[in-house]
Amino acid sequence: MRRNRFTDKESLLFLIIGLALFVFPFIYEDRSMLILFTQIFIFAIFAMSYDILLGFTGIVSFGHAMFFGIGAYCVSVMLKHYEPTMLLVTGAIILGVLFSLIISFVVGLMTLRLKSHYYAMLTLALAGLFLVAAEKWRTLTYGNDGFTFRVPEFFHNRLHFYLVCLVLMIIVYFGLKRFIQSPLGRILLAIKDNEQRAESLGYQVLHYKIIASIVAGGIASLSGSLYALSLRFVNTSVFTMDITLDALLMTIIGGVGTLIGPVLGAAIIELAHHWLTGLAKVHWIFERWLILFGIVYILAVMFFPNGIVGSVRKLVAKKGKKEDVSTSENIVKEG
Amino acid sequence: MELFINLTINGLATGMLIFLLAAGLTLIFGLMSVLNFAHGGLFAWGAYAGVWLYLLTNSFIAGIIGAIFMGIILGFITEKWIIQPVYGNHVQQILITLGFMIVLSEFLKVIWGPNQIAVTPPAYLTGSWEIGNILIIKYRAFIIVVGLLMYALIYYLLKHTKIGLIVRAGVINKEMVQSLGINIKRIFLYVFMAGAAMAALSGMLIAPYAGVIHGNMGMEYAILAFIVVVIGGMGNITGSILAATLVGLIGSFMAYYVPELSLAVNMLIMAVVLLVRPQGLFALKG
Repeated sequence: MRRNRFTDKESLLFLIIGLALFVFPFIYEDRSMLILFTQIFIFAIFAMSYDILLGFTGIVSFGHAMFFGIGAYCVSVMLKHYEPTMLLVTGAIILGVLFSLIISFVVGLMTLRLKSHYYAMLTLALAGLFLVAAEKWRTLTYGNDGFTFRVPEFFHNRLHFYLVCLVLMIIVYFGLKRFIQSPLGRILLAIKDNEQRAESLGYQVLHYKIIASIVAGGIASLSGSLYALSLRFVNTSVFTMDITLDALLMTIIGGVGTLIGPVLGAAIIELAHHWLTGLAKVHWIFERWLILFGIVYILAVMFFPNGIVGSVRKLVAKKGKKEDVSTSENIVKEG
Repeated sequence: MELFINLTINGLATGMLIFLLAAGLTLIFGLMSVLNFAHGGLFAWGAYAGVWLYLLTNSFIAGIIGAIFMGIILGFITEKWIIQPVYGNHVQQILITLGFMIVLSEFLKVIWGPNQIAVTPPAYLTGSWEIGNILIIKYRAFIIVVGLLMYALIYYLLKHTKIGLIVRAGVINKEMVQSLGINIKRIFLYVFMAGAAMAALSGMLIAPYAGVIHGNMGMEYAILAFIVVVIGGMGNITGSILAATLVGLIGSFMAYYVPELSLAVNMLIMAVVLLVRPQGLFALKG
C-alpha cells in the first residue's frame, strides 16, 4: 500500500515537471535552450529503451547504437530522396522502427542464448559491422561526410519540434511503464533477478529476452529518427560506440531499473556536456569532459548500482520505514 | 606466387599481433571469468607510452621495455581498483571495465593530445630481404618471430612451471586450488598484469607496423581480439594463436581481393562459431 502511495506521489511530481516543460518555451524564449532540451528528450527516449534491456531484463548490450543509426538513416535517406512532408516523416519513422524490429529479432534469436559476456561482445561487433557498412555504402550514406536534408515545413519551427519530442517522450515513458508493469514485464524482472529460477518456473527465457530486445530496438530507432530530424543532417557517427556509451552513462548514472532514471541521466549528461564544452574556452581540459563522467560512472557501478533515482528512492523508503516503526511503537505504547 | 607469399606474411604478422592482445584476454577470462573490456585501453596506453619513449630516446628496445612496464603498472591498477571490487558479478564487471576503457582512452588524449602520431620502425628493422624474387619486409618477419617466441614462452610457463600448473588448475577449479593453501587472488593479479603487459607490448609493436597510432585504436583492435577469443575458445592459448592466425590471414587476403568485406568476414566467422560451437573451435573441454 505504502509503495503505491509513494509511486503516486512520484507520478504527481513528473506531471508537474511535464507541464512545466510544456509551458517553458512560451515563457523563456531562447533558441539554444530549446535545442538543448529537444536533445535531452531524444536521448531520454533512447536511454529508456536501453534501460529496458539493462535494467529490466539484465542484458548488457554494447550495440544499441545499431538501432539508433537505423532509425536515423531511414528518415534521412527518405527525406533526401522524396519531397519532405509530414506523412513521409511519419512513414519513414515507422519504416525505421519496423526495420529495427526485424533486425533486433534476428540478432536476438542468434545471440540471446549466449552468456552475458558473449552477448556484449557480439553486439559490440555487430554494431561495428553496421558502422563499417554505413561507411562503405557511400552511394547511399555519403560515408563519414554525411549529408544534409530538408525537413517538412512544420518542423522549421524549433518550438514545434520541441513539443513533438516532449510528447513522444511522455508517451514512451508511460507506454514503457505500462509495459514493465504488465505480467510480461514482471517476467522480465524475474529473469533479471534469477534466470535459472525463471526458467525452472516454466518460462521460455529466450522468448522473453527477444521480446525485450525487440521493444528496446524499436524505441531506439524512434529516438534515432528524431535525432536525425533535429540535426537535419546525418553521418556515420550515429552508429559509433559513443552513442551506446551515451545511453550507458545516462542509464547507469540516472538509475538502472527505474524508467525515470534514464530521463534524469539524459538531462544531467546533456546539460553537463553543454556547459563543460562551453568551459573549454577557459581551459582545454574541459574538452575531455567524458573523463569526469567515466569516473562518475565507475563509482556509480561500484557504490550506487541503482544510480541517482534508485539511491534516492532507497533513502526515502528507509525514512518511510522508520516512520512506520515509530508509529507502530506509539500504538503499542498507547495500547 | 610472390603476391601469395607476401599476403601470407602480412596476415601472419597481423595475426601474431592480435594473438598478443588476445592471449592476455583469454587467460584472464579463463582464470577469473572476467571479460576485460578495458583491454583495448591497456593496448593503446602501451602503444603511446612505448612510442613516446622510443621517439624520445631513439631506442626501439627502450620503447618496448617502457610499454611493458606501462602495461604492468596499469594491469596492477585495473585489477586492484576496478575488477576486485566487483568480483563475481558479471554484469557489473562488463559495465565497469567498459567505463574504465572510456577513462583510459580519454586520459590518453589528455596526455598525448587527440592527433595521431607517425611512427617508423628503427633503422635495423626497415627495408626488406630479397629471396629469389620474393620480398620479405623485415619488420613483419620480426613481428612473426616475436609472436612465436611469446607463444613458446607462455606455453612453457603454463605447461612446465609450477606457477603454470597453479594457473591451469585455477582455470579448472579455483576453490580447490585455494583450499590447497595457494593465494589464488595473488595469482589472479599476476596473470592480469602479465596479460596487460602483453597487450601493451602488442600496442607498441603495432605502432611501426601500422605507421600511425591514434586515440581510438584500442577499441578497433580489441574487437579483433574478441573475435579471436571467441573463435579460439576462452582460456585456450593454442586456440588463440590458431584463431589469431586465421583472422590475420583472412583479413590480409580479403583486404586485397574484396576490401569491403574484410571485417565483415571475420564477424561472420565469429557469428557462425557462436551459433554452432559457442565454446570455440579449438576448445578442449566440451
